[in-house]
Amino acid sequence: MGWEEVQVRGYAEFVRTAQGYHGRPIFALFCGDKDAEGRSWCPDCVTAEPIVRKELHNLPDDSVFIYCLVGDRTYWKDPNNEFRKNLKLTGVPTLLKYGTPQKLVEEECFKAELVRMLFTED
Amino acid sequence: SVQAREEEDNPQKTMEVNGLTPVPDSYDYDLIVIGGGSGGLAAAKEAAKYEKKVMVLDFVTPTPQGSSWGLGGTCVNVGCIPKKLMHQAALLGQALQDSRKFGWQFTEEVKHNWMTMTESVQNYIGSLNWGYRVTLRDTKVTYENAYGEFVGPHTIKATNKKGIEKLYTAERFIIATGERPRYLGIPGDKEYCISSDDLFSLPYCPGKTLVVGASYVALECAGFLAGLGLDVTVMVRSILLRGFDQDMANRIGEYMNEHGVNFIREFVPIKVEQVEEGTPGILKVTAKSTAGDQMIEGEYNTVLLAIGRDPCTRKIGLDKVGVNINEKTGKIPVNDEEQTNVPYIYAVGDILQDKLELTPVAIQAGRLLVQRLYAGATAKCDYVNVPTTVFTPLEYGACGYSEEAAVKKFGEENIEVYHSHFWPLEWTVPSRDNNKCYAKIICNIQDNERVIGFHVLGPNAGEVTQGFAAAIKCGLTKEQLDSTVGIHPVCAEV
Repeated sequence: MGWEEVQVRGYAEFVRTAQGYHGRPIFALFCGDKDAEGRSWCPDCVTAEPIVRKELHNLPDDSVFIYCLVGDRTYWKDPNNEFRKNLKLTGVPTLLKYGTPQKLVEEECFKAELVRMLFTED
Repeated sequence: SVQAREEEDNPQKTMEVNGLTPVPDSYDYDLIVIGGGSGGLAAAKEAAKYEKKVMVLDFVTPTPQGSSWGLGGTCVNVGCIPKKLMHQAALLGQALQDSRKFGWQFTEEVKHNWMTMTESVQNYIGSLNWGYRVTLRDTKVTYENAYGEFVGPHTIKATNKKGIEKLYTAERFIIATGERPRYLGIPGDKEYCISSDDLFSLPYCPGKTLVVGASYVALECAGFLAGLGLDVTVMVRSILLRGFDQDMANRIGEYMNEHGVNFIREFVPIKVEQVEEGTPGILKVTAKSTAGDQMIEGEYNTVLLAIGRDPCTRKIGLDKVGVNINEKTGKIPVNDEEQTNVPYIYAVGDILQDKLELTPVAIQAGRLLVQRLYAGATAKCDYVNVPTTVFTPLEYGACGYSEEAAVKKFGEENIEVYHSHFWPLEWTVPSRDNNKCYAKIICNIQDNERVIGFHVLGPNAGEVTQGFAAAIKCGLTKEQLDSTVGIHPVCAEV
């Protein structure tokens, strides 16, 4: 059984979804919201997304990839937003392996080698 | 040319093939570092800066209790980092007690949760392990989680945890394999006792603990365990903190004793038996006096052995390449450029003979070595006047000679010791000890009263000592010290 993708928006939906997949390896990519034309307000997210997507085929069997839109720019800039407070995110894009300290932040997400390492190594 | 290949069942054949003299230009790597700890990683990262092709091999053989950990070595995983965090946990417990005198009101008794602390500490360590892997990958250093051992000239075999073996060759090697805790060699030691390798990830509270040993590892661990509210006993064979200034060592022991740590002096355990299984269970320790025939018994939930550490140099094939080691201690003698007797093999860190076993020393040595190898630098690691701190409940910072060593080197009549007790301002209100904190400097009379030894016992000793270490490196004299105006009110002004 390969891997599957789920798309969510906002903190509550993210947490609900992650809890629902408890027991399976969960990887999550957090990006800024997209406008009607599908463009994110976050330029680094625009760069990172295709690079991350290109490595998805490396995901281990049975894992879940959660693509999470965090909110608009104002929400993100608020230092007390739930992603910063509860998930300790410091920037977007962030790519992480849920439940572990393993994550890649901002320009680290541009490096295919690092993305692959996150997906394939323990 | 010699290439890396999978070799599953015939190392002999591989060695024969490798016996064909490798052509220098076609080594797999410029540098292979065996050991991904403080020294090894510093050297590897530095070499990558000069665009050398580098590989790091790191492998943790699980403890008898099954503990293991990720990339980063002893300091990050089972040494300095978790130790300081748990020491901080204990200090915060003390601060909570003090806080009432400063007006904080809370009615509940404050209790400590071992699992909460340990999970937070391990989570932080996990982020460090990951950070190192990202850095190595980003700087194009090849990292393999595999056990490295020499099998022939310029050739090592790397065995991963699945038992798969690969061969690699390199122009140069740095051995940075570090040390592991020693066991007593008595019945029950490996089956029932834990070491510092296990303590910082112990998945249950250790409970009533017997710490065997009088090293800084033993005293620091005993110190924070007691500070977290556990019943702690330290069993000491002879003296405390061998190699450190003994007056300071005794003051540390006295303070710990007065603050709830039991000491059993001049005894060694001769067997450990299990009375009851559990997490923790109950262990019975039988010990014999070193000064007579007396035997004693005691029951503890946990027995922590901290009697010393042995270099990981006996099973890495050094005999296959002719690297000399001290047969008795396992340490590797090197020249002042960290080179072993085999010109293309170097060593850094705790495994070195007659050098200080400290993370910053290993890092400095590793970096400077690589700069000399690849960047034409000439600076050698300065092992003199290296400051250290022991994070016992009452912290001890030191730089330079102990009083005994100064007397031995210069003669009692040629040194002058200046000393003082001090009472930290923060301790006054909560009525904490007014006669325990202590500082002394040892001066060389014949050399302008140059400060050759600095010792301080008190809060934040590490922070206090660091600056004075720089001053000592610049040749601080007593007169200069006297003419430096103090900052008030701080401990360091003493």
